[in-house]
Amino acid sequence: MSEPIIIVPLDGSEHALAVLPVAKALSEIGGATLHILHVAEGKSPPLALLERMGLAPADVRRSAVHARIGNPAAAILDAARETNARLIVMCTHTAPAREAQTLGGTAFAVLKGAPCPVVLVHPEHRLGTWHLHRLLLPHDGTPVTSAALRPAAELALRAGAELVVLHVAAAGAAAPAEQGSVTPPYYLDQPQHEWPAWASEFIERLACVCSLSGLRVSLVLGRGSPAAEIVRVAAERSTDLIILAWRGKWAGKHAATLKAVVREASCPTMVVRV
Amino acid sequence: MPGRSRLNSPRSAGQSVELPATPTTEPEWVLVEENTVLTREHELESLFAIGNGYVGSRGSLAEGSPLSAPATFVAGVFETAPGSVPGLATIPDWSHLSMAVEGHPVRLEAGTNLEHRRILDLRQGILWREWRYQDAAGRVSRVRGLRLASMADRHLLIQSVTLSPENYSGSVSVNAVLPEPTTWRAAGTIIAVAAAQHIEGPASPSTEFPVLVAGPLALDVELGKTYRLDRLVAIHTSRDTDQPVAVAREHAERVQETDVATLIEQHRQAWLDRWQACDIRIDGDPAAQRALRFAAYHLLSAANPEDERVSIGARALTGSAYKGHVFWDTEIFMLPFFTLTYPEAARALLMYRFHTLPAARAKAAHLGYRGALYAWESADTGEDVTPPFVIAPDGEVVRIRAGALEQHISADIAYGVWSYWRATSDERFLLDAGAEILIETARFWASRAQPEEDGRYHIRGVIGPDEYHECVDDNAYTNGMARWNLETGDAVTRLVAGRWPEQWRALVGRLALDPDEPGRWLALARDLYTGFDERTGLFEQFQGYFDLEDIDLATFEPRSAPMDVLLGRERIQRSKVIKQPDVVMLFYLLWDCFPPEVRAANFRYYEPRCGHGSSLSPAIHALIAARLGDGTLAQRYFRQAMEIDLADNMGNAAGGIHAAALGGLWQAAVFGFAGLSLTDAGPEPHPNLPLHWRVLSLRLQWQGQQHDITLPAQGSPAELRTKEAKR
Repeated sequence: MSEPIIIVPLDGSEHALAVLPVAKALSEIGGATLHILHVAEGKSPPLALLERMGLAPADVRRSAVHARIGNPAAAILDAARETNARLIVMCTHTAPAREAQTLGGTAFAVLKGAPCPVVLVHPEHRLGTWHLHRLLLPHDGTPVTSAALRPAAELALRAGAELVVLHVAAAGAAAPAEQGSVTPPYYLDQPQHEWPAWASEFIERLACVCSLSGLRVSLVLGRGSPAAEIVRVAAERSTDLIILAWRGKWAGKHAATLKAVVREASCPTMVVRV
Repeated sequence: MPGRSRLNSPRSAGQSVELPATPTTEPEWVLVEENTVLTREHELESLFAIGNGYVGSRGSLAEGSPLSAPATFVAGVFETAPGSVPGLATIPDWSHLSMAVEGHPVRLEAGTNLEHRRILDLRQGILWREWRYQDAAGRVSRVRGLRLASMADRHLLIQSVTLSPENYSGSVSVNAVLPEPTTWRAAGTIIAVAAAQHIEGPASPSTEFPVLVAGPLALDVELGKTYRLDRLVAIHTSRDTDQPVAVAREHAERVQETDVATLIEQHRQAWLDRWQACDIRIDGDPAAQRALRFAAYHLLSAANPEDERVSIGARALTGSAYKGHVFWDTEIFMLPFFTLTYPEAARALLMYRFHTLPAARAKAAHLGYRGALYAWESADTGEDVTPPFVIAPDGEVVRIRAGALEQHISADIAYGVWSYWRATSDERFLLDAGAEILIETARFWASRAQPEEDGRYHIRGVIGPDEYHECVDDNAYTNGMARWNLETGDAVTRLVAGRWPEQWRALVGRLALDPDEPGRWLALARDLYTGFDERTGLFEQFQGYFDLEDIDLATFEPRSAPMDVLLGRERIQRSKVIKQPDVVMLFYLLWDCFPPEVRAANFRYYEPRCGHGSSLSPAIHALIAARLGDGTLAQRYFRQAMEIDLADNMGNAAGGIHAAALGGLWQAAVFGFAGLSLTDAGPEPHPNLPLHWRVLSLRLQWQGQQHDITLPAQGSPAELRTKEAKR
């Protein structure tokens, strides 16, 4: 299949339907086809399938509806690999969330094994319509995180959206060891010169990884807890989508920022595995 | 703009063509980068910059890269973009050289880099490159290169590149043409660049070498042979001559008459002469050794004793950050190195301040004061070019008040003048320039300090070296230096009047100096508020400082951001956190004016409260800690100072090297670890060497004498040898 595909798993719950406005908007931006996927224990006729997912036939215009049998997470991942999916857009959880739980079991398993970025929509977002005017890319200054820039830049360019890059200066964090990293200027000898030089350097290093030509890009410096700053800036700037780079570790204190942002941000989060 | 080709006799078969010089091999003389990480390219271009004080050129990849920012700067040539302040003009890339093998571009990111290293040869002042590159077709080329800004001929830049096809013969296209135009205008200055370039190669039936390079060309190359491009570039400006284009062309033609190897040897010898005068040798700490040589290299690359109308900007000639603007950095942090090892260069730097005295007088008058108030940031004219505001990355529009309020710079310059005089007894300088600077800066303070009801004079509404606190009253550093400036102003009037009465009369007439003025300066100095508390032995950094919030900086560690970012501007202004040494800086400069217990008490008080938000801070802390006998703390700060440019984890150096920090590092070694005091009898060491420094030896000039000082490990006596200094 050569046409871009976005996988949208729906399990029939009302929570799961929260993803549809986001998925539809992303499909229009990217010229992609939605593959609405339902995983159950047995097959159903198409209309019954739609009914089970809470959809009307009009809801699936310019989409394709698929049913699979088996473990939901495995089926979703298989579908993503087979179609070379560009994105998976899914709900963080469809059953009532346990306290402090960030993702439901299926969402977590999909995130861990996804061959493409995953857009996570919190059911409480209750987005009636969704448009992509502004993306927020938190960036820790490391070249590895810049890998998340490419899908963000592509989306922003297609949507004509603004890309806001956020770097958070945090106490208790040493400078990253990765070569080529850039942090806020530790020595701010004369801010009237350091700030423009730093901003320019930060953006140029990003542009080295991915062309920013044609994009509206702004750089913002926050301070304090990275998660809190991401949530704050996202709210203040009416952000429609947060892009987070994730290195694949989840247990314990790993991915603390990702977990907090997914739980607390008022907009969807796209997780890019780097 | 080509010159004539130089006709050499054809090389005989088998005769190899190699680079006309060889790199230094001792590791403590070189900075080596292996296997380029392209995202670090801006930092590396700064670190590997070459220069000679007239021209400076970033160490950019000759063929370029997605992140390359090549730039060449000519000292003193500024241009002003609309709506901006003046900045050093950038000349396009004179060293650009791209090649393609059978149509495949030879670029770092295009093929496979079997080996790649860049080497900054500090001893010879040469940037080397060694590269084995494999293209997609499997062809392996060995490329070696050198680049330098001649220290023997400051208008001359030299580049030499060899190409050796290891496993192929074929066609190589070379693009070594200077970008058009070769004449630029920056504000009112014309910059002319003339190049002469040719390719040498082994004798060949198809090509007679040398081949003049006047445009892109294709060359047939043979497996196992080496071909070399030599490029000689002459730069002249309308600051140097009325005919920069003709002079540049003539210069390029003339240097072609001399063998490239000879030109390089002349440059090399000039560098060796400089190292003979200034090298510090440390036995037992290779990292510190290399860092000190790196510091001296960049300071020497920035200085031009032949030009009195330029100074050294915050990033020297290595990058466009800070726009080439000159700060107190020069006189307090860099000048000591030159005063004691290269006095001709020190003199030229101070003459810049003399030539910009009219602008300093104008600034003082504009603010309602007498005498000279030097610009906080200056370019070529001495007018203040401090940007008035900046938009911080959190969106805040920050008003920059340093231009109006950071006035200690006048005293800092006076301090540099007096230090130079003490070191050299350069009468001509004192009479022609130095005395006038000392008098006019004293005059400024005499008008700036105001008498108040308490019977004291006060200086209100300033910014001291600690820029976290603005518009403060009676900053201890400012008042302390002002007091010194007033006293020294008086001293110089008595000196000149006593020793050179005729010149004194002329000076009095020129400056309309009232006979009572020096006496009034002394009285004012005596009554100037100091902020010293007899009970605690502490100087209050400014009025009200002791009432501010105390913040434990240790709770923020580790961190990679400055404290004013982490706390926010408002909170830091309400706190005791300081940006850099302020009271402590005063003690360093006026060491003997304070008793030991006061120095120690104030260092112990202020050091834990310093957030080191300035690159000027760590070296001074290393110096003071060493002098106070706290070796552990001194070494920790010394390492921090060493790493400002040389560590590769923060992108610090992308916009240029931190020239003042490098000068501070040198001072930390000389006045901290070696503990030198400069007395009328000569330099006296009071060493506090780190235990693993087996020997520290250095050379400096003082009062016309060359002093060689060797400080062995702790417990062994120092060796001092003195002889007449070379002129």
